[in-house]
Amino acid sequence: MTLNAQASVPDTASDSQGMAIVARTQGQMVRRRFFRHRAALAGMILFGFVIILAFSSIGFAGIPGWWGKNYLDTGALTNQGRPTLSLIPEFLGGTGLHLGEHPFGQDDIGIDYFALTMRGAQQSITIAFVVGIVATFFGTIVGAVAGYFRGRLEAVLMRLTDVMITIPVLIIAAVVGRMMGDSGALVLGLFLGLVTWPTLSRLVRGEFLSLREKEFVEAARAIGTPPRRIIFRHILPNTIGVIIVSATLGIASAVLLESALSFLGLGIKPPDTSLGQLISEYRSAMVVRPWLFWWPGMFIIVIALSINFIGDGLRDAFDPRQTRVRA
Amino acid sequence: MTTPNVPIEPRKGDAHTYDVPPTVLDASGEVHVGLTLDAVRPPSEEEILRVDNLTVEFPTEDGVVRAVRGVSYSLREREVLGIVGESGSGKSVSSLAVMGLLPKNARVRGQILFRGDDMLKMSPRKQRGLRGRKIAMVFQDPMTALNPVHTIGDQLAEAVLAHELMPRKTALARAREMLDLVGIPQAESRLRSYPHEFSGGMRQRAMIAMAVINNPDIIIADEPTTALDVTVQAQILEKLLEVKDAVNAAIVLITHDLGVIAGMAHRVLVMYAGRPVEIGDTDPVFEEPRMPYTAGLLGSIPSLENSGTRLRPIKGTPPSLINLPTGCPFSPRCPLADDKCRTAEPELTETDSGGHFAACHHWDRLAAVEDPTVFFRTESETMA
Amino acid sequence: MIVFIARRLVISFFVLLAATFIIFVLTALSGDPLEDLRQDNSPNKDLKIADRVDRMQLDVPIPIRYLGWLGRLVRGELGVNRDGQDVAPLLGHALSATLQLVLVATVMAIIVGIVIGIVSSLRQYSGFDYSVTFAAFICFSLPIFWIAVMLKQYMAIEFNNWLKDPGIPPTVIGVLALLGGLIFGALTAGDRRRRLIAFAVGAAITGALFTLLSVTHWFADPGFGLPLIVAISAAAAVGFTVLSAGLRQRGPLYAALGATLVGALASQVLGPLLANPTWLEILGFALVTVAICVGLGYGLGGIQRRQAITASVLTGLFTGALIFVDRMLQAFNSYSQAVRGRPISTIGARTPNFVGDFWQTNLDSAGHLLLPSMALILVSLATYTRYSRASMLEVMNQDYVRTARAKGLPERSVVVKHAFRNGLIPVTTLMAFDFAGVIGGAVVTENVFGWQGMGNLFIKGLKEVDPAPVMAFFIVTGTAIVVFNMIADILYAYLDPRIRLS
Repeated sequence: MTLNAQASVPDTASDSQGMAIVARTQGQMVRRRFFRHRAALAGMILFGFVIILAFSSIGFAGIPGWWGKNYLDTGALTNQGRPTLSLIPEFLGGTGLHLGEHPFGQDDIGIDYFALTMRGAQQSITIAFVVGIVATFFGTIVGAVAGYFRGRLEAVLMRLTDVMITIPVLIIAAVVGRMMGDSGALVLGLFLGLVTWPTLSRLVRGEFLSLREKEFVEAARAIGTPPRRIIFRHILPNTIGVIIVSATLGIASAVLLESALSFLGLGIKPPDTSLGQLISEYRSAMVVRPWLFWWPGMFIIVIALSINFIGDGLRDAFDPRQTRVRA
Repeated sequence: MTTPNVPIEPRKGDAHTYDVPPTVLDASGEVHVGLTLDAVRPPSEEEILRVDNLTVEFPTEDGVVRAVRGVSYSLREREVLGIVGESGSGKSVSSLAVMGLLPKNARVRGQILFRGDDMLKMSPRKQRGLRGRKIAMVFQDPMTALNPVHTIGDQLAEAVLAHELMPRKTALARAREMLDLVGIPQAESRLRSYPHEFSGGMRQRAMIAMAVINNPDIIIADEPTTALDVTVQAQILEKLLEVKDAVNAAIVLITHDLGVIAGMAHRVLVMYAGRPVEIGDTDPVFEEPRMPYTAGLLGSIPSLENSGTRLRPIKGTPPSLINLPTGCPFSPRCPLADDKCRTAEPELTETDSGGHFAACHHWDRLAAVEDPTVFFRTESETMA
Repeated sequence: MIVFIARRLVISFFVLLAATFIIFVLTALSGDPLEDLRQDNSPNKDLKIADRVDRMQLDVPIPIRYLGWLGRLVRGELGVNRDGQDVAPLLGHALSATLQLVLVATVMAIIVGIVIGIVSSLRQYSGFDYSVTFAAFICFSLPIFWIAVMLKQYMAIEFNNWLKDPGIPPTVIGVLALLGGLIFGALTAGDRRRRLIAFAVGAAITGALFTLLSVTHWFADPGFGLPLIVAISAAAAVGFTVLSAGLRQRGPLYAALGATLVGALASQVLGPLLANPTWLEILGFALVTVAICVGLGYGLGGIQRRQAITASVLTGLFTGALIFVDRMLQAFNSYSQAVRGRPISTIGARTPNFVGDFWQTNLDSAGHLLLPSMALILVSLATYTRYSRASMLEVMNQDYVRTARAKGLPERSVVVKHAFRNGLIPVTTLMAFDFAGVIGGAVVTENVFGWQGMGNLFIKGLKEVDPAPVMAFFIVTGTAIVVFNMIADILYAYLDPRIRLS
């Protein structure tokens, strides 16, 4: 059964019969299934929390945040830069729930590590989203055009995709990172997006190849609908599930890609920072000052994990073939 | 039709040689169904399968789907029983239950007695021993029912080897005989072919060969011709009757095509919303239906006899199996329905002698008119 | 089939050629190759700059430079880096270490991932399935460099410290036993009672095993010994027989057990030959093993001859691997002393200047490969697990699987013969994609573990805006990816007859 765009009109025929079939629109069903996916819901809440924390605490793009310190000011080291965050309540023998002066500790020149980590999270999230959007845009266009028109245009586009796929993503991304690392998160994200679209374009092309043979496309062609309209109004809405899921998972892997690049010294450059760069800088501090290693690592994992869960929830929601039926 | 006019001598000879009557083409090039039900050996009185009050439910997120609600029937040796109904009426699910092929989450109750043994209480191992050996199945879509990565020969031989230890060569020889029997030319070389090298009709023939390769007592054919070209359908049905005769099996024929039932089944069971609503010998049921749903079905098929008159379709759609209407499940679509129908679900009652049962409060109103499809008159007819 | 491969080869060649052009141009454009010299304050600064401009042909347009590089490549030269060193010898050292790492990680990920994925799909919605799914998501979300640093800290440094006195504290044994019980319990299908029994049995077995290992200080001088080899191999023989033929007939079982017996005998008789073999000899032994096992299967198989041969060959190879590992473990103590009690290495691909026999040198590479491949494997492992699970779930719902059940085949045959092979088909396409990802991961992993591998060559070249080493890296990895794609394609065609014929 195809998820036709036109199928989103509620089927009132059965209601008028007074029968108990509740008609739901495509969108309603997707939403319902998504919100039933507990991991996805948890991922969404967690990810929302991280975004709000990262962008509101130290401020973004000139807007000041509620956290008093920033990620550039050095200061005197208190207590060798140990974290002051305490999560163990007093009745369990801890010092009670409080943030303290430097909840995540300080780095070796006394910069507040909470502020640094938040800045890193901001950068990583920004880059990941830009990569996701750019790659999805180009991947969809290339895949759709190649899949719909076939012939020479498809051959050219697909060979281009083949060429890009032969190059490991990290390799081409490293070259791009070397080029654009100094230009800030947005530009780096844009250029990374320009080299990571081929995976999605293959997927979209596959969907188009099968959908273009379907009767409703045949019908649209028969009444003389122009190709652009068929692509965007008839076929694309049916592939939206594949695209959204793939874009979400693409964002998750972009988080990891960016942090790997920064770790190798080919991404965001100091004094600005990203989560990967923080880990790279303090990898040798593992033994003496493990918090410098743990905090950015935890944030990468939490961000990537929550986006992955959201992606999984979306996949289940759009593709009900594996609907859970329990005995 | 239950007492055949043409007595046939049981065939003698080697158990593994079957003589194949040629398919006859008439002058117009159309397939002439050479073999009819009257020409095959009649059923005996021995009951081989009895399904008693079978219910099947599937728990889902939206609620419990009550796919089959109390189906009972029996099958005699060599008998052909047709089960008709719309999709979702429970006809396929009830036969999958007989095969023991329902998904794990299905809740099955009731009894399925094969020669007196309850299959639902058997050990899985014993049940597996019956499956494919005593009860075989032909599925609806031959395009997907054969494994694309194994050769036809392998898949046929495997069916033998699952139940009998023998060298592979012997099993392949048996497979070749079966391909001959179902009329696949060059059977020897076709053993090495893959399913995608076969046409739809050929694949269904191969499926039939696979079903009869162990000389089963029962063949369950689940809409065996629905996925095929019209021209091939008749050939396949004829082939089914022919191999049934060759291996002495009974057939449970599931279909929504009343024409097929009329030509091929000794008895017919009509199902609606998971329940049997009418059962009896084919001719009486078709000539004097006692349930408006059966009458409606008969009124909605074109035939040569009533050409010129309008078809009389049943309005509406079958009910959801999760949330059934109270009373008779057919009442929302039934022209005879009254308050009684909407509150109490009718039981199967014997309406005529000779084992004709129907589940309707108003079967006598159908009996009172000459053409029971008249209740399904369309508006234009009424106005005219 | 040959036409199919040839066609693919030609296309792949041109694709690779185009990719080299893109990489070359991007690398050349990625920065200023004279950056370090511009800040140079030495008196001969201008001379140095002129020298480098000349060597790197910085005065000619990039496409011409590319053609020059390509021309040299055709003559078999990889060019020089910006300091004038020939790239080829640099590559030579790096090549084998990196390819070893990548291949080990890929093969392990494929085998383990597919097995876990299939078991997980057959036990859908069980505790095992949920745990595997959750673990896979964690793996997808772990930055590889982070996990590598963690492994280095906890698996190498602290494990080596522990090896000095390898006793396991009772609490740890308790935790391990609990874990073992949970795995057993989660893998068992059935009602609560059966699962509880499985949990208890699993916990008891694991607890006893680790207590024994601890008390005997097994980790200080590990090894299996003949009785254990025979026991494990016999268990494997039964397992392989059940999978390939079932136990209805005795023939295949006898053949497989025969393979166990021959293996056990061989391990004793061949002792002197195995003292310091070469890889070629090991390969020879493997071939002889296969030949003997085919014979056993043929002779004892009876009417299930084919299945008997499968079972006995698998058992034979498994037993051989067991003996191999046992030999390696026996060399552990002497090796450990040779490297001053730090057998799990954190730096490099081999211990510098290490000399030892066959077993010790292999143990040395294994000790160096262990952690990088563990770090590298996680993501691929998760991918293969998820993919094969999804693929198996889809296949198990296909009509032909229902047909197979309708024939009365035992569930084992339904899974092994009908579902497994169809389920593998989409996994082969994943192999091609995943391999490129592993190479990217290897670059990062090598960086953490300080391997002087290809990744290092690439990163250094890229940072210095020096195309020659970058291109040398890409020629090797790109070719490896093309070859791997080819293998995946051939495998695909082998598994799916529909592709083979078109």
